[in-house]
Amino acid sequence: MMASQKAMLHRVGLALALALLLVMPWLLGSYQLRLFTEAMIFSLYAVSYNMLLGYAGLLSFGHAMFFGWGAFSFAVALNHFPGMPLMGAVVLAMASTTVMGLVVGVLLLRVKGTPFALLTLAFNALVFAIGIKWHSVTGGDDGLSIATPTLNLGFTDLVVSHGPNLYYFTLVIVGAAIAFAWYFTRTAMGQSVLLIRENEERMRFLGYNTNVSRLILFVLSGALAGLAGSFYAILNSFVSLDAVSIEMTTKVLLMTFIGGTGQFLGPVVGAFFFTYVQNFLSDLTDNWPLIMGALFIAMVLWVPGGLAGLAAKLSGGRKDDDPDGTLAGLE
Amino acid sequence: MGEAAVFFLHGLAYAGLLFLVSSGLTLVFGMMNVLNFAHASFYMLGAYFAYSILRFTGNFWLALVISPIILLVIGAFVERFLLRKVHVHGHVHELLLTFGLAYIIQEAVKLLWGTTPMAMPVAGILADTVNLFGVVYPVYRLFIFCLSALLGLGMALVLFKTRIGIIVRAAVDDSPMVDALGINVPLVFMGVFAVGAALSGFAGVAAGPLLSVFPGMAGSILVDAFVVIVMGGMGSLGGAVLASFIIGELQSFGVLLFPDFSLALIYMLMALVLVLKPEGLFGEKQ
Repeated sequence: MMASQKAMLHRVGLALALALLLVMPWLLGSYQLRLFTEAMIFSLYAVSYNMLLGYAGLLSFGHAMFFGWGAFSFAVALNHFPGMPLMGAVVLAMASTTVMGLVVGVLLLRVKGTPFALLTLAFNALVFAIGIKWHSVTGGDDGLSIATPTLNLGFTDLVVSHGPNLYYFTLVIVGAAIAFAWYFTRTAMGQSVLLIRENEERMRFLGYNTNVSRLILFVLSGALAGLAGSFYAILNSFVSLDAVSIEMTTKVLLMTFIGGTGQFLGPVVGAFFFTYVQNFLSDLTDNWPLIMGALFIAMVLWVPGGLAGLAAKLSGGRKDDDPDGTLAGLE
Repeated sequence: MGEAAVFFLHGLAYAGLLFLVSSGLTLVFGMMNVLNFAHASFYMLGAYFAYSILRFTGNFWLALVISPIILLVIGAFVERFLLRKVHVHGHVHELLLTFGLAYIIQEAVKLLWGTTPMAMPVAGILADTVNLFGVVYPVYRLFIFCLSALLGLGMALVLFKTRIGIIVRAAVDDSPMVDALGINVPLVFMGVFAVGAALSGFAGVAAGPLLSVFPGMAGSILVDAFVVIVMGGMGSLGGAVLASFIIGELQSFGVLLFPDFSLALIYMLMALVLVLKPEGLFGEKQ
């Protein structure tokens, strides 16, 4: 097949996918639509995680600290500042997650590899502890209820707390964020992070400040996770400590890895797979995490490229960023 | 004064548990460059096995012997049939594998034993108190500390005074060289991994009567053990001793002095070490 034909095919595929996303509320019932919305939010969470794992080769066990921080910042912004517009709260949540990402990143990126992995876990535990103890702000074990304000579009106010409106709101903002992440990985900046993963020393010789590149990626990844966190808060009209727990970190790890770290869309596949399989299994048994864990181990043992890697292999070896799913970067 | 002494002893008991868990973790890391996320799960399994053995036989000492032996076998199995399989894919996959394992053990424990915390009562002399320099103190906590100290001493003897110890230490420093000298390094790995699991299980049995047995016990000690090996320097046994002592005492006095911030105290200390000496107290510069 000629290259232009292939590009054409891709464009047609993309257009079809977009059209399908636009008519989704007519195809799905309200319960199914909610599930789909949840999967989209988790897609952003997983994509942001894969920027660290897949692109920078940084294995983090603390991504929920950003997700939860974003969710709580969003809820606090709404609850403590009456009259706060919806987008104002979303922007504030992202801003506060960015600041937090900077502080944590400066501290943690001093170390690499395994010490980095375990320090992210310790920081996640720290943020969780703050969440429990700082009862006056976070509500502690009780969590925070939120009343999502309407979205002011200038000519009309939309109720976006549930249903098709929430779906479209999520589709636009979360979709834009995922598209931005994709765009970022294609920029010179994003590519340089990829190269740092492969050979940091050489990049230094070429004059790159590798620490700054990594920090920027780390902060961006955190901010996007924070955005996903705010939408998770809107979806549930509630934020609990669950959002910042180690379980939430585990979740993103499972999603990303099952989906595949080697391709940009791998985590999206993983997020949808995880959300739907969890939904299916939890109807059948309370022990669904056991099955999910076994699936995860099976993937690690036999399908290290994840579902997306498997699909790419089956469809005839499309070039990807990390063909074998073997990640460099941990020494 | 009396109160401070009590809290100091409390700290020693917890430091003992921490050392038993983190020593195996740090040795395995030094040798294989693999951080074993499931290590604290071995600790939890040790406690649950002991709980069941205690329920059926009523003999704590039996539990203290059998439970670590079961974990020795589990540890050897995990290393031989799981960890070694993903070794070719690199460290990330090894980390992810142990992470998945920890997740599965967590869920399996909930499935088999339920989620409610269970008390593990000890009888006889262990349940007594003793008058120590004018302070009435439970025997059991002293017992934990002595047990840990004895095991730690035994471990030090094996590591520093025997041929096996020399091989293990050499493998921690430079495993390709040891391999080149004709020593079966994978077997050494398996042995250390299994013994580490057994020690962790031992700590779990000892912790059961003190902290009760519950599904969250792995997570709570895991983070502390991580802090210990980061602070002490990854792969350093001496660092693990010192850091266990510091964390144990900090935990104990933290609860006494700043009940609301005792958790944060440990992380702040860790952040401080990280800023001043990223390789840890006894670690080598990368």
